[in-house]
Amino acid sequence: MNAVADFFSTFATILWESLQTLLPIIVFFILFQLLYLKLPRRFLAKVFSGLVISFLGLALFLFGVEYGFEPAGTYMGNVLGKLSYSWVIIPIGFLLGFMVTLVEPAVRVLSYEVDKTSSGHIPEKIVLYFMAFAVALALALGMARIIYGFPIEYLIVPGYVIILLLLKFTSGDFTSIAFDAGGVATGPMVTTFVVAIALGAAEVIQGRDPILDGFGIIAMVAMVPILVIMILGVFYERGEDAN
Amino acid sequence: MQDEFKDTLWQIFKGVAPVAILVLILQFTILGMPLDIVGRFLLGAVLVTAGLSLFLIGLKMSIIPMGEAIGSELPQIGNIAIILFWAFFLGFTATLAEPPVRVLATYVEIASAGELGGDTLVGITALGIGIFIALSILRIVLQVPIAYIFAGGYTLILVLSFFTSPEFVPISFDASGSTTGPVTVPVILSLGVGVTSVLGGKSSVKEGFGLVGIASMGPIIALMLMGVIAT
Repeated sequence: MNAVADFFSTFATILWESLQTLLPIIVFFILFQLLYLKLPRRFLAKVFSGLVISFLGLALFLFGVEYGFEPAGTYMGNVLGKLSYSWVIIPIGFLLGFMVTLVEPAVRVLSYEVDKTSSGHIPEKIVLYFMAFAVALALALGMARIIYGFPIEYLIVPGYVIILLLLKFTSGDFTSIAFDAGGVATGPMVTTFVVAIALGAAEVIQGRDPILDGFGIIAMVAMVPILVIMILGVFYERGEDAN
Repeated sequence: MQDEFKDTLWQIFKGVAPVAILVLILQFTILGMPLDIVGRFLLGAVLVTAGLSLFLIGLKMSIIPMGEAIGSELPQIGNIAIILFWAFFLGFTATLAEPPVRVLATYVEIASAGELGGDTLVGITALGIGIFIALSILRIVLQVPIAYIFAGGYTLILVLSFFTSPEFVPISFDASGSTTGPVTVPVILSLGVGVTSVLGGKSSVKEGFGLVGIASMGPIIALMLMGVIAT
């Protein structure tokens, strides 16, 4: 009975939360429509039904995360963090990152962009595998940080300093695509499930602070792909100069 | 419509299924979690797959065409200050609607035992995105090379990371990574394409690249500044 009550009260809260989440952009649309757009009714009817579908989807998604992924991911992190061989969480992170990125639609779009910008010199497949490797590496680094407990600055500062230095060696197009790559790689599985695992592990490992050490996983996933795509770009442009 | 739903469902499924399989393999080898936790995970996986598919289908009918309409209408206004204001407003509200941002805020609230409020985190993140979307449009208008913006922005971020309160460093980078999701990215891109085609002069599609990268510096800077003020 308790579980059922828990289920429904969580769901009711989430319905309300989803509505609050979407309301501001709906208000924005209404204002813009009244002031400038003046789109036809039929268009608006479609937009409205789309918003209703999005609202239901958002509620289901958030509910799935809070009711399912959050407790399960945290529990998984707890178990893994307490193991005598807790380092195993590092290769698990690597595997998760690699698998999730290979099938991420946004990453495929990016790979295609790079292929086009390099006029076919950097094939789509290569970019895809480099991106998957980048995210895998990012999650492995993020997990290693929780196990060994070093501050995130040790990764962030050298990472972005190298990126800043590479800015001098890559052309504008590659620079733009590389920075977009950082945003593209952070898909929903990483931001929901992997973060919960990390938080769970940070909870049980002695001397770790959930806030200081549990967060920072998404940060890695946003940074490493920028580096990888920039390095790809530098090599491509080197080859271009040699020709 | 039905085909589109099937396509989207399949794409999301391909992302969730390998993770679910890996979790089940780990469950039988090293995890041995209680059954109700495994049940919650599987139910969560089904709900996340269905929910995200519905959400994306709905976006394609609503926020994306609306964003495109706004992107092409906005430059017609002519007055750059007003354009920047609406661009800010659009970025701000789109971030509020971004599911991963919500999820991160919930996690931060849980991990800090309520000390760091989820709504504050979402609000500041949205403010950062809004301001930086406006800035990136200004960049297109003024034709400042994009590398200058990244160099300046990340230098500022590196400097701020030494002055801000330590717990804000991981969270601010995480917030930035989580903002570039299914709502914000298409909105930013359609805004960028619309604005560059009218104001950019050279009308290059490539000017649209990099907008997401610039926007994602916003939440890092905004949250780190908040951390500086908080200490």
